Amino acid sequence: MTVSASPAPAVLFPRPSKRIRGRSIAVLVFLAMAALFFSVPLYVLVVTSFKTMDQIREGAIFSLPEVWTFDAWRYAWDEACSGLTCEGLKRGFVNSLEILFPSLIASIAISAVTGYALALWSVRWAGGFLFLLFLCAFVPFQIIMYPLIVITVNMGVYGTIWAVAFIHTVLAMPVLTLIFRNYYKDIPPEIIKAAIMDSGSFWRIFVEIILPMSGNILIVVLIMQITSIWNDYLIGVTFGGLGAQPMTVNLANMVTVTTGTVSYNVNMAAALQTAIPPLAIYFVLGKFFVQGIAAGAVKG
Amino acid sequence: MGIRWSRLTPQLALTPAVAITAIAFIGSIGWTILLSLTSSRRLPDYAIDWTNPFRQYDRLFADVGWRISLSNLIVLAIGSALAIVFGFVLAAMIERERRGEDFFRTVFLYPLAISLIVTGVAWRWIFNPALGIESFLHSLGMTWVSFNWLADGRTAMYAIILASVWQSSGFYMALMLAGLKAINVEIWSAARMDGVPLWRVYIEVIIPMMKFTFLTCAILLSLGVIKAYDIIVAMTNGGPGQSTWLPAYFTIKALSAKGNLAFASAAAVMMLAITAVVFLPLVLLTAWQQRVRKGAAG
Repeated sequence: MTVSASPAPAVLFPRPSKRIRGRSIAVLVFLAMAALFFSVPLYVLVVTSFKTMDQIREGAIFSLPEVWTFDAWRYAWDEACSGLTCEGLKRGFVNSLEILFPSLIASIAISAVTGYALALWSVRWAGGFLFLLFLCAFVPFQIIMYPLIVITVNMGVYGTIWAVAFIHTVLAMPVLTLIFRNYYKDIPPEIIKAAIMDSGSFWRIFVEIILPMSGNILIVVLIMQITSIWNDYLIGVTFGGLGAQPMTVNLANMVTVTTGTVSYNVNMAAALQTAIPPLAIYFVLGKFFVQGIAAGAVKG
Repeated sequence: MGIRWSRLTPQLALTPAVAITAIAFIGSIGWTILLSLTSSRRLPDYAIDWTNPFRQYDRLFADVGWRISLSNLIVLAIGSALAIVFGFVLAAMIERERRGEDFFRTVFLYPLAISLIVTGVAWRWIFNPALGIESFLHSLGMTWVSFNWLADGRTAMYAIILASVWQSSGFYMALMLAGLKAINVEIWSAARMDGVPLWRVYIEVIIPMMKFTFLTCAILLSLGVIKAYDIIVAMTNGGPGQSTWLPAYFTIKALSAKGNLAFASAAAVMMLAITAVVFLPLVLLTAWQQRVRKGAAG
């Protein structure tokens, strides 16, 4: 790593990329075609959302809008019908935000503390518990769905954002705990021993020593959780009832409305509005996003 | 009391996690297994008929929808495996041709940041028979192509597979790229000196060296396939008919639509069983691989 920083090797081994060889061209052409394939759905969403319905009915799906109009965007946000209400996507957007914050705080707080306790304090049953958490990470949601509904009904929160946030916290706990534990276990135990000698308590060590060391993993986990909570559909539709539907549920209801003519431009605008928050995070903080994938790989 | 405190506090701090594991996971799984042995309809009824406790499972395997779901699961698993192959090819190309690495990686990976509901909306629009890609190709004079896959029960699963491959290839590409970068560069120069053609280096050296990465990808792929639900809701809602039902979709439909609790619980237990059957060997293999690696390293 330190060697590559010095400029000397560049002189000894000039970059072979001075002239492009035939194989390079073939590879680049293939990669460009693959990039085209990956871009098509996003491109189609964008151009369709800015077209008028008259132009859409002409057929050419790949053509650019003749007149760029924001009407579909405004309509999808403010007025489009989903289910029985016609308030557009803004309701779902607000619900998604209200679900996001408690879910993030609760899931990260519980998992970080649990990971810290399991990694650095000698808990006798830590090994067995970690294995159990590892197994829980693979459990399909359907097998615990009905009991969780009964539990949230009995807690009196079913159909509110609190039920959705609670379930997000429960389901994320095993994987996040494993991630935090793997991160904290590399902290030298001497630090903790010295801190205990210094009469540091469990919580003081966590707040004063461990948290300041956790910046990197916190960002990775935060991004991972924001995208997975924002993009969730199943938990939102199961526990949100009618009052706390997140944006994805709102969108799904909107595009499957069967009455009247389908306004494709409105559907595409609504889909884009749902996709923009996680996409923005992805394009701005892509590096951490990739790290989150690697760390949470078990979550899939 | 100082030492007692330092032993007790960590255990107290673990209470929420232990409670969640015990109630929301272990307890709930037991609860669902118990329900699957009863004849509960809309409300739970815990009386088990001991003459035939597995009658819900008999019903389940006699159900046409469940059988379609199982065969679709296999079709989807085989089809989605293309994403691993595609991901490896993309990663290998990016790794060899360094130029534009950041750009290509960003483009290949962005579908992963998007909700599957959005993915479904986009692909359903592309497959729209009157206004989508089919009409575009027809207008170019290629009237023999048919992209009306979603309207036909025999082809609808292929549309789902295409959308899943589009969504997940970048993910496998990222994992493969990390695996490729961990490979010692000397292998390439050694191979070049021996005059071994590139494709043989990949097949005979690189891919065997990346067993572990491929295994991880296989585990994640099976996990994703068993969980696949959102994409079905957004693209076909199970249709046409029952042609795109999957176990996850079947179970939720049984739970929410029919008010047939015991039957739905049996389907959920079968999902857990499928997960266990797929994963236990894979997880054991992974653990064994890691031990071999550790042994080699130390």
